[in-house]
Amino acid sequence: MIYIFGISLIYTMIKKKDQLLGANRNLILFLLLSIIGLTLGIIYIINPYLPSIAAMLEKHMK
Amino acid sequence: MNKELSLRQIAYMYVFISISPILRQIPRALAAAAGRSAYISPLWSAVAILPITAIIIGLLKAFPGLNIYDIMIQVLGSFLTKIILFGYLLWFLLSITAKISIYAQTLQFTLMPQTRTNFFFITLIVLVAYALLRGIKTVFRFSEFTLGTILVIFAILFICGISRIRKDYLLPVSTIHLMDTIRASVSVITVGGNIVLVLFFADKLGISTTKKEKRKLWYGAFIFLILCFLVTLVTIGITGAALTANLPFPLYITVKSVSFFNIFERFEVIVTLICVLSDFIAICIFMIVIIRCFEWMFDLKQKGFLYAPLAMIIFYLTYYISKTQFEFDFLYQNVIIYINLVFQYLIPVLVGLLSLFRMKKIKKQF
Repeated sequence: MIYIFGISLIYTMIKKKDQLLGANRNLILFLLLSIIGLTLGIIYIINPYLPSIAAMLEKHMK
Repeated sequence: MNKELSLRQIAYMYVFISISPILRQIPRALAAAAGRSAYISPLWSAVAILPITAIIIGLLKAFPGLNIYDIMIQVLGSFLTKIILFGYLLWFLLSITAKISIYAQTLQFTLMPQTRTNFFFITLIVLVAYALLRGIKTVFRFSEFTLGTILVIFAILFICGISRIRKDYLLPVSTIHLMDTIRASVSVITVGGNIVLVLFFADKLGISTTKKEKRKLWYGAFIFLILCFLVTLVTIGITGAALTANLPFPLYITVKSVSFFNIFERFEVIVTLICVLSDFIAICIFMIVIIRCFEWMFDLKQKGFLYAPLAMIIFYLTYYISKTQFEFDFLYQNVIIYINLVFQYLIPVLVGLLSLFRMKKIKKQF
């Protein structure tokens, strides 16, 4: 799935080139969100059995 | 100012997105907390839902044509508004991931038990992307046109279910149960608080909203309360409080025993479809609101580039938030309900109160 998202990010970069290069804010936000998304995806691929936030909370609250 | 949406459409959207929690979560949560007297809890929740509706209508009157961001800017100033908006953004991210989780779980529990969650997530992304491509209006119009049919189906279901209701499952109810029913009403209040979404689309309503339009919002709140009451009554009356409290989707089991004069049966498929449609619209609305929050927070002029990275974040975040039904239930009961109360009630009430105090100062500016 990460490849599909990667392709969609590249497609967005090409298609929305004018919007992204038109304002620095747009480009920085796009890159920041893409990095967050890719990081989450890579962590999930490395360890898909990572405990969820709900599981961790359950452990600490009980 | 261009009037893109009407208050009626927003009110119908509110009822429409509330349907899936009403069918799936509320009867179960109420039965677990208040037992056989649980059907009284929706009546208590009116004490919180009707005042918040009044506050929202008051804010719409006081700040015509302004959305929650503009109102907060006027009342709280830019810095505090951006902090609160960031909180709203995180809350909507949590809400959308929770909705996606429960959407997949509903389909797995009912119609497609063998299918992997991945499949539901991917199809959902495609459907939401398609709906959003058509624009906000399409999403609101869909809920506006579909709600009437859904309410008629519910009316038929309730009428057919009356003969199956067992009195001993509902009575006796005494004053001892009063506190339990009040405590349980939090589950209803937290869903009913979605009416705060009106403020996120208030700028689309145009400057003038008529009394008749504002009345639609009251109708929305009343339909929500009546639907909650009837669904809980029928579910507990037919299935019993003990079983309702332990089933992941009690109404699904309840309607299995209901038939329309022995001609039509298997209403559970319709109930599941209604739930899925409601979740789908809720996810679309949350996505629109998330994008709007980004626009307001970063003063963006364009938003088209946000969809792909946000879809990716939400997709993976869904796995990180909760993975199983048990985890989701824990998160919903112990975290989401209380966070909802803050963002649906506490902040709008604070904004409403502060706007009352600062009204003169704000009016002087114009």
